[in-house]
Amino acid sequence: MAQGEELRSKIKEVMVEELMLDFDAAEIADQTAIFGAGGLGLDSVDALQLVVAIEKHFGLKIADAEKAKGVLQSVETIAQAIETKG
Amino acid sequence: MTTLITGANGGLGLGIARYFLEKEPDAKIWLGVRANRTNADALAAEFSGRCVLVDLEVTSKDSWEAAVATITEADGRLDVLVNNAGLHRDHLLATMPDEAWSSVIAANLDSVFLGCRAVIRPMMLNRFGRIINIASLSAILPPLGQTNYAAAKAGVVALTQTLAKEVARSGITVNAVLPGYIQTEALAHMDEEAAKRAKAGIPMRRFGTPAEVAAAVRFLACHDAAYVTGSALKIDGGIF
Repeated sequence: MAQGEELRSKIKEVMVEELMLDFDAAEIADQTAIFGAGGLGLDSVDALQLVVAIEKHFGLKIADAEKAKGVLQSVETIAQAIETKG
Repeated sequence: MTTLITGANGGLGLGIARYFLEKEPDAKIWLGVRANRTNADALAAEFSGRCVLVDLEVTSKDSWEAAVATITEADGRLDVLVNNAGLHRDHLLATMPDEAWSSVIAANLDSVFLGCRAVIRPMMLNRFGRIINIASLSAILPPLGQTNYAAAKAGVVALTQTLAKEVARSGITVNAVLPGYIQTEALAHMDEEAAKRAKAGIPMRRFGTPAEVAAAVRFLACHDAAYVTGSALKIDGGIF
């Protein structure tokens, strides 16, 4: 399993591919907010797809909305959740 | 493609299953059934290995989860869900028993909600899915005595259109078909005079067949229908 920078790059690639985002993975900073103005501007439908993509590519199951809220803040928080999972 | 058809012991469900099995050599069909399964058993025997029964009480969340787990463990995927199960208990609203209302809403609308929710995750994981909800012409042209059934089927159409938007980016399409008068056991109770009157109101002057509904379902289920979602397709010989 990738860690550190490699993991963060992979997360960005997965996001661009799975969410069909119209920009390059390299344009996403680790700390950029995934939702809301000033961030990537993703919505709740993207969040659903992202939860499934994270499970599929990184084996991290996000079981409930409360946990999703914490994990899906930025690439950095997703990476930390993957690195510390079970 | 792996397909689950609910209400698969009835005329329309069986007709859809048979059509898929005959037209698609690589189709794997799961027939969702409850206690009544004689007809489904016969179809499974006829298409041994490609057609399998699975226990499914469509108004039960647990039953849906168990059935979907059975299918995905066996086949590794679930490509198509045909929500066909349903029933009607016609009464004028003024005298409709509570149970006639709640059972019809549960069997026709709750079942579709539970089924769609159960299959979304495996379909999203595969980034492919086809959900076809069997609504009814009653959703848009409700006859007297069907406030429960018409409300449920109109709800199915609205659910279909809303869900289509929610999963459009995931490679999943969600469509409804609205059959009119179709030659199944649902029409068996109709006497000759009533049938004659009904046909007089159909521009094509005849009832439809399960295969004619199945053909539309097969189209909506195919890969080439990837850009068709949120639609409500009438199959009724031209009634409007």
